[in-house]
Amino acid sequence: MSHAVDIRDLHYRAGKNFEIRELGLRVPTGSLYGFLGPNGSGKTTTVRLMLGLLRPLGGTITVLGASVPRDIPRILARTGYVPEQPHLYTTLTVDEALRFHAVFYPTWDGTWANELVGHFQLDRARRLSQLSKGEMGKLEMLLALAQRPELLVLDEPTDGLDPVVRRDVLAALLDYVSQQNATVFISSHLVHELERICDWVGVMDRGRLVAELPMQSFKNGIKRLRVANPPALPGDTPFVVLAREAGNGASETWTVRGWQAPMSQYFEGVGASLREVIDLDLEEGFVELLRTFREPRG
Amino acid sequence: MFRMILFTQWKWSRLTLLPLVVTAFALPLLSVQRAGNPQTTPWEARQLLNSVESWGVAYPVLATTIALFMAMTAWSADHRGRHVYALSLPIPRWHYALQRFGAGAILLGAAVIALWLGALFAAGTASIPAGLHAYPTVIAVRFALALFLAYAVFFAITAGTTRTAGYVLAIIGGIIVVQVLLETAGVHVALVPFIGDRLILWPGPLEIFSGRWMLIDV
Repeated sequence: MSHAVDIRDLHYRAGKNFEIRELGLRVPTGSLYGFLGPNGSGKTTTVRLMLGLLRPLGGTITVLGASVPRDIPRILARTGYVPEQPHLYTTLTVDEALRFHAVFYPTWDGTWANELVGHFQLDRARRLSQLSKGEMGKLEMLLALAQRPELLVLDEPTDGLDPVVRRDVLAALLDYVSQQNATVFISSHLVHELERICDWVGVMDRGRLVAELPMQSFKNGIKRLRVANPPALPGDTPFVVLAREAGNGASETWTVRGWQAPMSQYFEGVGASLREVIDLDLEEGFVELLRTFREPRG
Repeated sequence: MFRMILFTQWKWSRLTLLPLVVTAFALPLLSVQRAGNPQTTPWEARQLLNSVESWGVAYPVLATTIALFMAMTAWSADHRGRHVYALSLPIPRWHYALQRFGAGAILLGAAVIALWLGALFAAGTASIPAGLHAYPTVIAVRFALALFLAYAVFFAITAGTTRTAGYVLAIIGGIIVVQVLLETAGVHVALVPFIGDRLILWPGPLEIFSGRWMLIDV
């Protein structure tokens, strides 16, 4: 499997309170990779390191087969970037912003840009400072898409947008991906949004990568189990016990990772009985994962 | 690419640049307003030179003002966006900075041309007493050198972060504080004049700003 982004042993420090250590991250080519993490976990910093906007203290970053920061202009020419905060020159009009952006990208698709302007209902004569947050979000996405990138790096692209605009922006993104087989790296704390569109997920917390796996494995692997007469000590379980909570009477609720149906035999072996297996959605799984990471159970 | 960078620089600076360009055109005309009768006495010619000289200080001040303004507008939009846009464009950083510098420098040319035309017009219309001569091209060239030197200095300072600008100000402030402390302690070391002279007097890097700026001279 080839990787559009390959980060190894990345080390970066910002001040005394924040550090990224030994970060390894691999984004498969052609995947829609959701990069999850709570606020302040280091997602934006990782994105900026990936695009050469910040200099790491150690480690290697390879994007689209080229090395960061050495080959950064070549990488950026093939990468569409939507940052967390609007970054465009707000004194320009929409039309001027399009013309300015276009000259830097040899792959710029002017025809498609014009189509997207119409689709997003953007007024070409309007100054960027007069655009609403939703319109600015659409413009940022338009600029990233119309340069026909091989890799799209989106840092909280729909944060603060209303549901209609969010749907428009994501629809344009998915259209593009289906046509071009581009790789998308989308950083967000909006778990449900990523759950719908991503096929890979990476979870970051406190500057460390907590998990990185296919979305399906992530969603299927974390379950909540209702267990009657549970053992005091679980012993060698074929799954990872993330949490145990006391229930009514002699029952408990276990949150586990790596669950598969045949593992129910374990409970018979320890004199317990499995009453129910509950699927967790991505958000619940995400929360449990972070809880385990922050309070390891040994 | 450069054309679009030049366009943005023009858009950001045009409203303030225009009155400054008009001022550059008007300055030589104002400096010779006392020129009158060509059959003037030597005493009156001396008064004319004094008048032209008194206006001379306005040239480096104007050059510094225009340069500072142009350097600030070159980077202000990028500072507002924390340089994320510029850094995410697929060109080397030095290349972007050079193009930004070049765009500002080209627009500074408008002020130089305006001053040159104003000086030519002033020299052509004023009645210059016998024995005196007008130097419109020389003063325009000197103005251009001062303008581009000041622009280069301010561009370098404003290209940095707020922290960099803070360091520069802290160094200047520190020198002044040391001077005051030395004076208070009764140690008579002219630190500020010493550094000022090294910068402004020949062969100091800012020598172009000092001396007499005379459109009309002997």
